[in-house]
Amino acid sequence: MLAAQHWFELLSQSPLGLYMQTSRWAFAVVEMVHLLAIAALGGSVLLIDLRLLGVILKGESAKSIGRDLGRILLGSLVVLIFSGIGLLSEESMKCYFSPAFRWKMALLASSIVFYFTIHRRALNRAGTASPGIGQRTIAVISMLLWLGVGVAGRAIGLI
Amino acid sequence: MTQPLLQHICQVIYDSHVGTMIRESDYAFSIIESVHVLAITLLVGSISILDLRMLGLILREIPVTRVSRAVFPITWTGFAVMLTSGLLLFWAEAAKNYLNPAFRIKLLLLLLVGLNPLIFHTSIYRRVAEWELQHRSPWRARAAAIASLTLWSGIIVAGRAIAYF
Repeated sequence: MLAAQHWFELLSQSPLGLYMQTSRWAFAVVEMVHLLAIAALGGSVLLIDLRLLGVILKGESAKSIGRDLGRILLGSLVVLIFSGIGLLSEESMKCYFSPAFRWKMALLASSIVFYFTIHRRALNRAGTASPGIGQRTIAVISMLLWLGVGVAGRAIGLI
Repeated sequence: MTQPLLQHICQVIYDSHVGTMIRESDYAFSIIESVHVLAITLLVGSISILDLRMLGLILREIPVTRVSRAVFPITWTGFAVMLTSGLLLFWAEAAKNYLNPAFRIKLLLLLLVGLNPLIFHTSIYRRVAEWELQHRSPWRARAAAIASLTLWSGIIVAGRAIAYF
């Protein structure tokens, strides 16, 4: 675990970290970018998973909806990761010891792995017929995982 | 009366029982604020999908009305929760909000973002049957989409900025 702690210390002492810690507005601006990307990611996750659940756009191909909205999802995920590193550098030691931050990283890793594996396969297989229990479960798990990332993220600032 | 009427009203709201309760509770404000952020994600995340569809960037093969029918229930749910939680947050902070420049800008942007669909639905959207299949919607619909994306982004930024003043 010492190795991980070392990386967090390096980040807090890096030029980025020092800039984020001393600038008056940098943290606020990066946080706003982070929030905007959350809205974009949340919207695309929700629509993709409601399609998998068979609630919306039932007649349309789940695969092409997943591909189009997946671009928004991945684009906002990239913005979230980069802005997230900026936010992290401002308070990396606090985050290192924060249970909420550790939960968030675990949930984020799970969400991403789930998205590229089981979720992707379900999207490719989904037809226009009423979805089965397996497909519905995958949609619900996906929504809960991403929601969990957001809730844990919010909790970093509270606990 | 030494202060403007509106400021006086904000002070009365601020001093009220419910306002004080939310403000002084350990968790109430943070919980309501988290719900508020989640509702904004629903609202902005869903409406921006329709905006991007009209701009011809995503879901081009799906008619605009099908996308809007899928999106609107989510958008309105998000709006209702956002408004309710927002009013509760205002209840707790009214007197501070009154003087907050970010809050004033946010209210102005909310007014503008409300006008946008009013104009959109009474003009170009009335003839949506004529253009709903087009991959890229007519320029007036695209203008409304860009206005929506810009204003909602501004509202999120201004909303976050309230805490910094």
